[in-house]
Amino acid sequence: MTYIAPCIADPDKIRLFAEMSTDIGEVMPYLNAVMKNATYNKNGPNLTFMKEFRLVTLYPRKITMAKALNTTDAWQVLSWIKDMINDVHERRDSITPDHELRSRPTALQIYGWLPKTNCKDCGELTCLAFAVKLLLGQKSIEQCSPLFSPEHAERREAMLEIVAAIGYEVPEKLGSQD
Amino acid sequence: MGIYLDNAATSYPKPETVYAAVDRFMRDVGSSSGRGAYRKALLADKIVFATREALGRLFGVRDVSRIVFTANATESLNLALKGLLAPGDHVVTSSMEHNAVWRPLKRLEHERGIEVTAVPCSMDGSLNPQDVADALRPNTRLVALTHASNVTGTILPIGEVGEAARRHGVLLLLDAAQTAGSCPIDVEALGIDLLAFTGHKGLFGPTGTGGLYIREGIDLLPLKEGGTGGESILEHQPNHLPDRYEAGTLNVCGIAGLSSGVEFILNEGVDRIREKEKELTGYFLQALEGIHGIEVYGPKDPEKQVGVVSLNISGVMPQDVAHVLDEAYEIMVRSGLHCAPMAHRTIGTIDRGTVRFGLGYFNTIEEIDAAVQALAEIARKALS
Ligand SMILES: Cc1ncc(COP(=O)(O)O)c(C=O)c1O
Ligand code: SF4
Repeated sequence: MTYIAPCIADPDKIRLFAEMSTDIGEVMPYLNAVMKNATYNKNGPNLTFMKEFRLVTLYPRKITMAKALNTTDAWQVLSWIKDMINDVHERRDSITPDHELRSRPTALQIYGWLPKTNCKDCGELTCLAFAVKLLLGQKSIEQCSPLFSPEHAERREAMLEIVAAIGYEVPEKLGSQD
Repeated sequence: MGIYLDNAATSYPKPETVYAAVDRFMRDVGSSSGRGAYRKALLADKIVFATREALGRLFGVRDVSRIVFTANATESLNLALKGLLAPGDHVVTSSMEHNAVWRPLKRLEHERGIEVTAVPCSMDGSLNPQDVADALRPNTRLVALTHASNVTGTILPIGEVGEAARRHGVLLLLDAAQTAGSCPIDVEALGIDLLAFTGHKGLFGPTGTGGLYIREGIDLLPLKEGGTGGESILEHQPNHLPDRYEAGTLNVCGIAGLSSGVEFILNEGVDRIREKEKELTGYFLQALEGIHGIEVYGPKDPEKQVGVVSLNISGVMPQDVAHVLDEAYEIMVRSGLHCAPMAHRTIGTIDRGTVRFGLGYFNTIEEIDAAVQALAEIARKALS
């Protein structure tokens, strides 16, 4: 771990960065193939998934995690990730790598990451309607302005990863924000 | 240099790596764990986590957030007993307990109205598991037992007791002060719900380290409230382990040493350590048999005891034996009641105590020979 801070949206929880000791870029398509609920973005590359209530994104050389309970919890999850990567790496000859996005997220999954306030800022009546249109490519993520307030930092990060993963453009200035 | 035979009190020497880890931590890291975002603080935090993981491997604990650090076995036992027991609860314990179990129970008896049954052990300190099963009542909440006596070394039948406790839905608290690191302990195989251990004996860590394993599903009231690394915004102590029970800055310096101690044990193998201690104990017991005027307590069987041997020389008070051993032979042992008066009542030595030899992994046959020779000389002089 190289950085720890309280979660912006939920100060009872922590978010953190950890560095990889080796580059896992090559293993990522294999991880994508075995992990059922991961969202893989081959252009990143990055792989985003939930470990219970924690949001984890793997990059070739780093890991980010949000909503960990405490540092012990974070270390436990990191150690679980390390074991999983090593395991997948060992078994890679028997796994067919998946270079594509495994499953397109559903509107409900996208809805799950929206602020869910139905504030209509995006021009839609509900967050769910916005989620559907986002999937159809009729809306873009920055049109949900509440998502870009500090309060929703973790949701925003997750949404940006997912949107990038389904192949939509993420404006550079937004994508690099953290 | 002298011969150190007081490992039951605290182990000495420690593995070289333990000294190095403490030195490295004090010199190069020095910050507290879970408190800051800068790299050195995270390094401290990583050391603490690595120690939890090593302890998890040693005790068969998979979710290491269930292992909380304390200052010693005494604090762990206090947390377990005071955090768990409520008015009307009944506790079964043995007549070989250390004051670290007995005194908190006595206090809870007065202040919270709990009931305590101390199952009598036989003269050699051994416990019949059936007696424990027979002592269980509908309101029995906990069986609290020492794993091995610090007076006679007698190992108690934890597996059988654990099974009986589980059958009756009663929790098992094990005081592993004398066995952690020197006897195999697997919380699943032995049915242990709460495991109290100290860092400075068989685990080869510095003093001021210890911990408690708390099985998932058991909620203890914390002994203390205060600052934790995370969840500072909450007004009450956080619910998540280990933070719930780790208020205040941890003894990271000590934990760094403990980490190396546990790694040493994992590398050597607990079984090998146990074998070595059995060999030394068996050798010592056999040599003592040939000396006239010495009474040895306990099972007198290395299979049934840890590296603790208590004895008396007829006609000499134990404190005088210990004094002469130190002054004339530079042999360091402990005399008296060893904080366990109940155990001395059980073995019939409450009036004077015993001389206690605590053999450890780093002792040698030559050192045992020297001790035997010294004891033989003292016994001979006492008789003449
Ligand atoms: C059986 C037993 N329980 C508890 C303790 C207490 O250990 P500590 O002094 O490290 O808290 C000891 C050691 O003194 C012991 O031998
Ligand atoms: S702007 Fe965002 S929060 Fe508001 S309704 Fe649209 S999707 Fe929901």
